Amino acid sequence: MAGSTAQRRRPPASRSGEDATTLPREIGISKEEALETLQVIRQECDSNAVRTGGDPTALRKCTALELLEQEQAQGFVITFCSALDDMLGGGVQLTKITEICGAPGVGKTQLCMQLAVDVQIPECFGGLAGEAVYIDTEGSFMVERVVDIATACVQHCQLIAEAQQEEDHHKALETFSLEGILSHMYYFRCHDYTELLAQIYLLPDFLSEHSKVRLVAVDGIAFPFRHDFEDLSLRTRLLNGLAQQLISIANDHKLAVILTNQMTTRIGQSQSTLVPALGESWGHAATIRLILHWDNNQRLATLYKSPSQKESTVPYCVTPHGFRDVQPPPPSQTPEGSEMNPRKRPRIEEDKQ
Amino acid sequence: MASKKLRRAGLAQELCERLSRHQINTCHDFLCVSFLELMKVTGQSYQNVQKLLCKVSRACAPKMQTAYDLKMKRAVNPFSAFLSTTLDSLDKALHGGVACGSLTEVTGPPGCGKTQFCIMMCVLATLPTSLGGLDGAVIYIDTESAFSAERLVQIAEHRLPNYFVTEEKLVSMTRSIHLYRELTCESVLKRIESLEEEIISKRVKLVIIDSVASVVRKEFDTKLQGNLTERSNFLAREASLLKYLAEEFSIPVSFLFVCLFVFPPPIFEIIQLCAA
Repeated sequence: MAGSTAQRRRPPASRSGEDATTLPREIGISKEEALETLQVIRQECDSNAVRTGGDPTALRKCTALELLEQEQAQGFVITFCSALDDMLGGGVQLTKITEICGAPGVGKTQLCMQLAVDVQIPECFGGLAGEAVYIDTEGSFMVERVVDIATACVQHCQLIAEAQQEEDHHKALETFSLEGILSHMYYFRCHDYTELLAQIYLLPDFLSEHSKVRLVAVDGIAFPFRHDFEDLSLRTRLLNGLAQQLISIANDHKLAVILTNQMTTRIGQSQSTLVPALGESWGHAATIRLILHWDNNQRLATLYKSPSQKESTVPYCVTPHGFRDVQPPPPSQTPEGSEMNPRKRPRIEEDKQ
Repeated sequence: MASKKLRRAGLAQELCERLSRHQINTCHDFLCVSFLELMKVTGQSYQNVQKLLCKVSRACAPKMQTAYDLKMKRAVNPFSAFLSTTLDSLDKALHGGVACGSLTEVTGPPGCGKTQFCIMMCVLATLPTSLGGLDGAVIYIDTESAFSAERLVQIAEHRLPNYFVTEEKLVSMTRSIHLYRELTCESVLKRIESLEEEIISKRVKLVIIDSVASVVRKEFDTKLQGNLTERSNFLAREASLLKYLAEEFSIPVSFLFVCLFVFPPPIFEIIQLCAA
C-alpha cells in the first residue's frame, strides 16, 4: 500500500518508483535521511495536487486507544428486551453492521421496527435521540404496528419522567411524541435490487442532509437477490459492493446498520439444516450476526457471530407493545385443571429451572 | 423503474450511444456494471463517473416518505386499509381484517374451510363501503375447480339477508366476481402477469388464488435434481408479482396453501385454519 501511494504522488523529477529503502543504497544516505527527503517531496506534491474535499484515508487511521475512547463514549440502540441487550453488550452497536437472520414469522421485521423507534429515544432517557432510515424490500412494513410500538415507547418514557420528576425529562417529552417519532422515520420502498442499489448509492448524500440519522435498517437484504438471478457471480459482486458501501456509510456517519436476512435449507448428505441465505461470502459482510428461531412455542435469539461478545441464546417475545423480554409466569398459576389450550404442555414447577 | 432507458435518466446523447455499444441501455445495466468497467467504457474520470452514478440512481431510486406520511395516507380512508372478515375475534387479531396492499396467506389441512373462507371474502368485497366492503370486483384464480357459484349465492343470502333481498342485487354481485380456471404453473403465472390491465379495467378490489400449492405439487417433484430451485424460482416470481400488484393497487391478495409444505419466505401474514 505505501509503495503505491508513493507512486501516485510521483514527484515531477526523475525519482520514480524509489522508496525509503532503495534510495539510500543508490545515493549513499541513511534510511532516516531518505525518509525525510521523500516526505518533503510528498508534501510539496500534496500542495500542488488538487484536493477533492476531505481526504477520507486520513480519518480512518487512529490508534487503538483513540478507538477505545470512541467506543466507550458511543451509545447503543436498545431493543427493549434486556436479555437481548445484555447479550449484545448494551444493544445494537453504532458503526457496525448487524445482521438478523430467521425463518418467516419469527420477528425480524418487528425487531427492525422496534429499533427504528428506539433510536429516537431522547438522551435523558438513555437513548441516542437519532432518526431512522427504513429501506423496505419486502413490503412488510406496517404503519399501524409502528404506531403501537411508538405509543408504548412514549408511555414507557412518560412513566420514567413521572417517577423521577426531572426538568429535562419533561422538555424532552414535548418532542418525543407519536407524530415526532413517525416524522423522523424515513421510509424507502425498493421493489427490486436495482432500486436497492440506486438507493444505497444515494444514501450518503441523504445522510449528509439528515445528519441526525443514527440507524439504517434494510428489511430484507435477501428478498431481491434470491430469485431471478441466473448469474450468481454478478450477485456475489453486487452483494459485496453493497456490503462495502454499507460499512463505509456506517463508519463515516457513525450509525448502526441492521439487515434482515432469510434462511435457506442446505441439503447435506443425510440431513438438511437451516442456514442464512445468500451464501458463504455474504457471511463475511456483517460484523454481528443474530439468528432468531423457534423452540416449540418459544422464540429464541442466538448471537451467532460477534467480535466482542460471547455466543449465547436468550428468549424473547413479541407483545402488542413490541419486542420485549419473556415475562416469568405468575406464581399463582395452577399446573392442572385450568381451561388452557389442551395442546400446550402444562407448566410444572421443576420445568422452570 | 429499473428498466428506465438511460436517455430518460438525463444522460447526454453521445454518452448513451457509447454505452449502448457495450450493451448498457437501461438504468439496471448501468448499476450492475462495476465501477472500473464504467470508467473504462465512458472514458470519464473517477469523480465524473460518481456523478453519473448519482444521476442514474436518482432516476430509479424510490421516493422518500416518512412513516408519518404513510400513516396520514392510510388515515384518509380508514375503510380502505383493511377488509373486515366480519369474524370479530379474527378481525381483532389481524388489527382490522385482511390488509389491503399486502399478501395474506390462508393455510390449513384439507376440509377445514379455506375455500369457504375465500368465497365469503368474495361476497364481502363486493359490498358497498358503508357495509364494510370494498365496492369492487373480485378476481378468483381457481386451480382446483373448487369454486361453486351456488354456494356463493347461498352464503350471500344467508349472511346478509337484508341486503340481498332482490334478484338484481345477487346478479350484480355474481357479475363482479371473475373466475379463471388455470391448471398449470405456467398458465397461473401468465394469468398473474396479465392481471394489471384487468385490475384497472374491471375495478378489481380483491384477488384470490386458490390454491398455489396444488399446481406446484403436481408439477414439481422435489426428489428430482434441480426441481427444488425451479420450484423456488417459480414461487418467488409469483410472490413478487403478486406483491407488486397488491401494493400498486392497494388491494388485498389472498391465496391458499395446503399446510404440508414449508415454503421459502417472502413474508406474509398467515391465518391458519386448523381442523381442531
